[in-house]
Amino acid sequence: MIPVFIGVTLFTFLIGNAAGNPINLIRLAFKGTLPQNVYLQLVAYYHIGENPLIRYLYYLWDLIHFDLGLSITSQRPVASEIGPWVWTTLYLQLSALALALLIGIPIAIYSARHQHSKSDTTITGIAIFGYSTPTFWLGIIFIYIFSFYLRVLPSSGAVSAITPWWGNWTLDRIAHLILPMTVLTYVQLATIIRLLRGNLLEVLKQDYILAAMASGLKERAVIYGHALRNAITPIITIIGLSLGASLAGAPGLETAFSWPGLGYEFTQAALALDIPTVLGITVIISVMVLVANLATDLVYGFLDPRVRVS
Amino acid sequence: MSQLTEEQTAPPKRVHRQRSATQWAVAWRRFKRNKSGVAGLAIVIAFVVFAIFGPLFAPYPPRSTESLLQGQAGQPPSWKHPFGTEINGIDVFSDSIWGARNDLWIGVAATAIATLIGLAVGALAGYSRGVIGGILLGIIQFFFVIPTLLLILLFSRVFQVLVYQGFGVNLIVLILGLFGWPGISFVIRGEIFRVRELEFIQAEKALGAGNLRILFRHIVPNVLTPVIVLASLLVAGNILTEVVLFFLGFGPANVATWGELIEEGVQYVSVYPWVALFPGLLVVTLVLGFNLLGDGLADALNPRLRE
Repeated sequence: MIPVFIGVTLFTFLIGNAAGNPINLIRLAFKGTLPQNVYLQLVAYYHIGENPLIRYLYYLWDLIHFDLGLSITSQRPVASEIGPWVWTTLYLQLSALALALLIGIPIAIYSARHQHSKSDTTITGIAIFGYSTPTFWLGIIFIYIFSFYLRVLPSSGAVSAITPWWGNWTLDRIAHLILPMTVLTYVQLATIIRLLRGNLLEVLKQDYILAAMASGLKERAVIYGHALRNAITPIITIIGLSLGASLAGAPGLETAFSWPGLGYEFTQAALALDIPTVLGITVIISVMVLVANLATDLVYGFLDPRVRVS
Repeated sequence: MSQLTEEQTAPPKRVHRQRSATQWAVAWRRFKRNKSGVAGLAIVIAFVVFAIFGPLFAPYPPRSTESLLQGQAGQPPSWKHPFGTEINGIDVFSDSIWGARNDLWIGVAATAIATLIGLAVGALAGYSRGVIGGILLGIIQFFFVIPTLLLILLFSRVFQVLVYQGFGVNLIVLILGLFGWPGISFVIRGEIFRVRELEFIQAEKALGAGNLRILFRHIVPNVLTPVIVLASLLVAGNILTEVVLFFLGFGPANVATWGELIEEGVQYVSVYPWVALFPGLLVVTLVLGFNLLGDGLADALNPRLRE
């Protein structure tokens, strides 16, 4: 884990120094309109004049102390700005993931048990559309239908600016969540159904399923108790691995809905070449993914006794 | 029976050649029976033809604002402009045709780069035990941890600031290629690990075969099937990434791609919804084609699903 962490920091540091040092890059982006006080601040912060190795060690030292520097566009500490973005991204991503698992598992089981039936073909067809569609484009179509045409849901942001939607601030947040969450749920649902259905089809052909059936257990008990348990472990791995992509917050989708999460803010910062913010978000996401991978391993051990033994 | 007699009457040399190709012949026969796979192949072929010959029939050059001068900006779909025009007078139908060419190029060329790097790194990581193998595995895992899409965006932006924008879409091809290989090399590494320990390889070694013979005669054919499937799915993924990249404004300026059209359409989606709608439908269709093709190939080439 630690070598990967050092790799991540080295990598982000190198990107920041692609033009020699971060300030050169920032000046190129600002085309000579960088204010003098900001410039001097940056020179001091990045220890310009030291050699790159020393600068990297300074960067690592600051990082360990949660000092990610000042954002160039907002002039506020990056570390304190990122907090709310992480939260906004997480509650969109996690609510969609929970909903997708809740709907996806029964559908995948149904689909696998009725392989080649009409409903199975329909389900796989809808699923394959789900992972062939750009999320943000689907979001735009939804915005057009529900916000501009029917005018029943808000089109952007996570919360209203002045008057709350549906007359209450809690309901207002829910109203803003519905459209992006629906799009995200559909896309994640597609992945879950596709993988779980495939795994179930293989597991259901195994001898131990036949043995369990032959011993007179109810089909429901066999599927939920034996087949699902074996078929779902690879899905947990996939979810754990794709958490990086989830935390990156689907920048397309977040931008389509102006959803103030990590993906949207990263996009804004990268367009403005706000290097401290960009590197801060990258490092935070990488660290969270490392933690998530560790958690996945633990869950895996909980679900699969064979892993626990070794 | 007629096939049998044909085989019998053929000269012996041809029979020999057919026998060596049976693995692929079997796969093709199984692929042909898979309706969705064939549909995917048909979609892909249709788009390739469309991308090669379409521009001959495109009514306007790429990024042409000719309709603006004729007072036809922001027109809904009509016979003259089948997909309508956007606010600057760009004909959406015409630019979609040019976009097909760029999008396919980005998808296929970036995948080719990623596959080549993936093959080389994966083979090296699978073959070398010890330090080099460990380091390569570390690098591959590193790419699974970092937020790749965000870094692709950042690279694209930084390069366009540092290097003058002469690269056009090839910049995107290069970046997508450089970030796309870890998945492929991970699979190849695992596959080599698996194949290397199989008995027939041990037997081949015992018979005195060299490393190169084992690599090219036994390991490459075994590894090739997952690579073909992954490459097909990667083309789909690359096209989706391209669309997001252009939509977010990280693409090079003045290039006709579907993502660029969607970006322009989004700004005025409440007034001119057709600008974002039609290119998006094309993206969905082509990506669907590559995904269906990849799934069909995976089924056809999977030896465990033999009939």
